Amino acid sequence: MASIPSFSLLWESFRLAAGSLRSNKLRTLLTLLGIIVGVTAVIAVVTIINGLDSTVADAFSAQGSTAFSVSKRPLVITSREDFIKFNKRKDVTESDAAAIDRLCDSCWRVGTAINGSSLVKFGDSRAENVSVRGLSLEMFAIENVTIQSGRLWTEQEGNSGRNVCVIGTDLIENLFEGRSPSRILGQEIRVDGVPYTVLAIAEPFGKVLGFSRDNFVYIPFESGQRMFGARDSITVHVQVIDSNVFETAKDEVRMIMRNRRKKTFADKDDGFSVESQDAFIGIYQNATSGIYFATIGVAVISLVVGGIVVMNIMLVSVTERTKEIGLRKAVGARQTDILLQFLIESVTVTMVGGAIGVFTGYGLAYLLSFVMGFPLLISASSALLGVTVSFIVGIASGSYPAWRASKLSPIDAMRNE
Amino acid sequence: MESTESNGNGISHPYNSLIKMRGIWKTYQMGNEQLHALREVSFDVRRGEYLAIIGPSGSGKSTLMNLIGCLDTPTKGEYWINGEQVAKMSDDELARIRNKEIGFVFQTFNLLARATALHNVELPLIYAGIGSGERHDRAVDALSSVELGDRITHRPNELSGGQRQRVAIARALVNQPSILLADEPTGALDTHTSAEIMNLFEKLHADGNTIIVVTHEAEVAERAHRIITIRDGEIEKDEKIK
Repeated sequence: MASIPSFSLLWESFRLAAGSLRSNKLRTLLTLLGIIVGVTAVIAVVTIINGLDSTVADAFSAQGSTAFSVSKRPLVITSREDFIKFNKRKDVTESDAAAIDRLCDSCWRVGTAINGSSLVKFGDSRAENVSVRGLSLEMFAIENVTIQSGRLWTEQEGNSGRNVCVIGTDLIENLFEGRSPSRILGQEIRVDGVPYTVLAIAEPFGKVLGFSRDNFVYIPFESGQRMFGARDSITVHVQVIDSNVFETAKDEVRMIMRNRRKKTFADKDDGFSVESQDAFIGIYQNATSGIYFATIGVAVISLVVGGIVVMNIMLVSVTERTKEIGLRKAVGARQTDILLQFLIESVTVTMVGGAIGVFTGYGLAYLLSFVMGFPLLISASSALLGVTVSFIVGIASGSYPAWRASKLSPIDAMRNE
Repeated sequence: MESTESNGNGISHPYNSLIKMRGIWKTYQMGNEQLHALREVSFDVRRGEYLAIIGPSGSGKSTLMNLIGCLDTPTKGEYWINGEQVAKMSDDELARIRNKEIGFVFQTFNLLARATALHNVELPLIYAGIGSGERHDRAVDALSSVELGDRITHRPNELSGGQRQRVAIARALVNQPSILLADEPTGALDTHTSAEIMNLFEKLHADGNTIIVVTHEAEVAERAHRIITIRDGEIEKDEKIK
C-alpha cells in the first residue's frame, strides 16, 4: 500500500477540520484571534510601507539623484550642540553660488534659493504658514517646477527684483475660493504685507504623507532677499547633467567651498552642509525600518501566542475525539493518516485565521491610505507571506497534538468514554 | 475436539487455516507482578466458520479478541491471518491487516456521530485508498445488504439502535474482510433487536462470511457453530455444536 496519502484522505481530513471549526464557533473565533492579529499586523504594515515608499520615491524622483544643495545648516538637526555648532558657521552667500557656477566643471545648473514662510492675503481672505521662497530662474529647472497657466517672470524682472510671483495650487482654494485661473492671474496678493502680482500657477506636486507640497508662493530671488533680509544665509542648489558625475560634482563643490572658507585638512567640519535626497531617503528608511521591526515584533508575539492557543485547542480536540481516533485506527488508519488528519485540521484553523488576517490587514491599510493620502499597493507577495506564515504556525502548533493522537493505541482509545 | 487441519507430521501449514494461533501469551506487567491474561493459547479458525468465544469477565476473552483483531500484539507466540504472520508486525502493518482482513462490530456501535451512514461505511475504504466513485458504490451496496439502502444520508442520531448496529455491520463488511469480528454485538440492544441482529449474522454466515462473536450471553453464543470457552487465560473448552 502506498504510503502517500490519497486525495480522499486529505479531503476527509479537511472536511473533518471544517466540521469541527463550525461546531464550536466561539472557540474557533478565540483560537483564530492571535493568528488574525499577527497576520493583520504583517499585511497592514507591509502594505502601508509599500504605499509610503512609492509616494516618497515619487516625490523625490521629481528631482532625481542629480541634484544636491549647499547650505549653512543641514535640514535635520538632531541635537542642541549641533544646532549651536551649525549656527556658528559662515553664511552661504550669492558669491558662493557664483564661485560654484564659475569653478565647478561637473555642475550643470546652479540656482539660489532663500526660504521662509509667511502670511499671505488676498482681499479679506488669508492663508497662514505659506511657504515663501525666493528663487533664481534656474531653480525652476532644477526642481522641475512647471507652469500650469500664466508665465514665469523674465530674467530682467527677476534681476530687478520685481514684486511678481508664481503660486501653488493650494492657494487657489485657500485664497481665491476656487475661482478660475484667468481670474487669478494678474491679481495682487499681499505676502507679509507686500503686494505681489500673480504671474502664474504651478502644476501641483501632490501630497507626501498627507502634507501638501502645493502651498507656496515663489518670488524672484532678489525679491526674496529683500523680504527675508540680504544678510541671511541662502541655499545653493546644484544639478549635474548625469548621475555618473554626481559624486564628482559634490567633491568639486566641497573643495571650492572649503577653499573659500580657508579650511585646511585639519578642519573636520566643512563649515557648510552638502545634502542630496539620499540623505532624506536615508532618514525615511531609518524611520520605516523602525516601524517594520516594531511590527514584526508585535506580529511574532501574537503569532506565538496564537500558535500556543491553537496547540491547546488541538490537544482538547484530540482528547475529545479519542474514541473516534481509536475507531479510525481499528478500521485501518495508520499513524501517518491520523497525524495528517490533525495537522490538516490545525493548518486549516490557522489558514482561515491567516486569510481573515490578510483581509483585515488590507482593510486597515486601505483606511490609513485613505486618511493619510498615499496609494494603496496591494501586493500578492504580502498575501502569500501571510498565508505562508499561518501555514507554518499551523504545522508548528499542530505537530505535537497530532503526534499524540497518532500514537494512541486503538484499544485504549476506544475504551475511552 | 480441536479443529486443526494437520498434515500428519504435526506441523500444519498456515494457509490451511484463516486464523492460526500457536502458543499465544499475553502478559501485563503490574508493578512487580506479572499478570498473564492469556497463557499458551492455540487454536485455528477455518474459512466460513461461525465461532463464539465466551467466558466470564476477566477470563481473557477481550484480550483474545484484541489479538484476533490485530488491535494488539501477543507477548509470545505465533499468529497467522490468511497466511501472514502478524505477531511481530509494526503498528502500520497491523493497520493494513485490520483494514484488509478484519471487520469490527462493537457493542456501542462506534459510529462517527457527525457523519452520515454512508460516510461511516465509507471509512475503511478511505483508508484502503479507494477512489470516491467506487467507494460510494460499495458503501451503498453494503448498506443495501443490511437493508439500510434508504437510510444512507441519515446520521446516527436519526437511526434506531438496531439500525446503528446494521450500519456498523455494513462498515465491517464493506472492504470484504476475511473475518467479521463482533464484540458483544447485542450488548446495547433490546431482545427483539438482538434477535434481528443475530438473524443477520446467520444470513451473513450463510453467504460465506467467517464470523467470530465474543460474548458472555449464552443465547448469542448458541447461534454459533463452534464455541470456545476461555477461563483464566486458557482455553477451557472448544466444541462444535452444529
